[in-house]
Parts: sequence; C-alpha cells; structure tokens
Amino acid sequence: MNVKVLLFATLRDRAGSKFLELEIPDAMNVGDLKHRIATDFPTLRESMNSVLVAINREYAFDEGLIPVNAEIAMFPPVSGG
Amino acid sequence: MSKLTLIEITQDEIDLDALLSRITSVNTGAAAIFTGLVRGFTQNGRQNVTEYLEYEAYQPMAEEIMKQVAEEIRIKWPDVEGIALVQRVGRLFPQTPTVMIACSAAHRNTGVFEAARYGIDRLKEIVPVWKKEVGPNGEAWVEGEHFHEIRK
Repeated sequence: MNVKVLLFATLRDRAGSKFLELEIPDAMNVGDLKHRIATDFPTLRESMNSVLVAINREYAFDEGLIPVNAEIAMFPPVSGG
Repeated sequence: MSKLTLIEITQDEIDLDALLSRITSVNTGAAAIFTGLVRGFTQNGRQNVTEYLEYEAYQPMAEEIMKQVAEEIRIKWPDVEGIALVQRVGRLFPQTPTVMIACSAAHRNTGVFEAARYGIDRLKEIVPVWKKEVGPNGEAWVEGEHFHEIRK
C-alpha cells in the first residue's frame, strides 16, 4: 500500500520535505517502517534512532501495525512549552 | 459548576486576563496560572543570546494530547474546575509568553498549584510542539529530552 509520512522539525529539515511517500507491504509494523526509511532516505537515518511516531494522531511503538489509510507522522522528541 | 476545559494552539498573542475569565465563574475562588516566556539571555557556563524562537506544532495531534493532559489533571485533582492549556506558535521574541496553563477551583487548597505544574511538565513531555532557536550565531532546533516518557 501507498503511505504518506508527515515530517516535523529536524526531520522535515533533513528530508527537505514536509512528507515522504512510499510503498510498503500490508501489515508492516512501525519498527520496520523506521528501518525502511533509514535505508531509503539516508539523511533521515540518524534521526530514526530517537524518532517518535504517531499513527492517527496517537503515539505508536515499534510493534504497532500500520493500518490502511493511516495518518502517519514522524518527529523528534518534543520541545514545546 | 460546569467544568470547562480550554485547549488552544494559536498564532495570536496569549491574553492571560481573557483566558482566566473564560475558566472562572461565580464559584471560583482561586486560580493558579503558569506562563512560560522566551528567555533572551541564558547563563549556562557561557552566555547564550536568543533573538527569537520559532515554534511549530503538529496541530491536530497537539490538541488531542493537550486534551489528554487536561483529562489526566481532572483524574488527579477532581476539585479543579476550569483548565486552560494554550500553546502559542510562530516567531516569538524574548519576554513573550509562549504557553499558559491555568487551573481554577473554589479554593486554593484543591490542588490548583500542583495541577498547573503537572500541566506544563506533561505538555513539555508529550505534546508535539518544537522550537528552533535563532541567535547571532545561527539557528538550531531545541532537542527535546523526553523520549521514554511517551510510553507512560
């Protein structure tokens, strides 16, 4: 399936884009998606070590599966306030 | 009274008086307000100068997580009545309020101080907002410290 991954802060700067689009197998988990992005987008490789992932606006973890038509976002540890 | 929760991510100036009035009623006798500001000078060994901070949010998720923080406050301090969580985004200069957490209740000994403290701590841990610091020597994203707290 085709997925779009929204990027924020350092990840957006390093990718030079607000999002990535990629083709992934059905039922891929978050950990594998991070690995895939590290391989396909070398400028993001280092970021994948401490990236936070959200699926449908909730935090998701390596073992979580990516549902169809999910809103996926990746970003660094937060620094608001 | 009804328990009002006010959640906002805004480009506009944070009006502390207006927000306070929105979370108080005739039953309110106390409110604890925390606001964070842009610090222009930071002494940590050497002096660091900030010209401005550029804030950005993943807005729809940030609003959801701020609602979650407000719910956590309500569970921990059930006597808190009004809760306001406001994060300003965009280019913000020194002395500008960037965030406000306010908790109101009938009396001061209801946990309002602790609730506001919890609100800002939790916001800084889990709400998807980032800031880039711009100074005379260039710009740098401020790295968040909280990676493992997310699983709580």
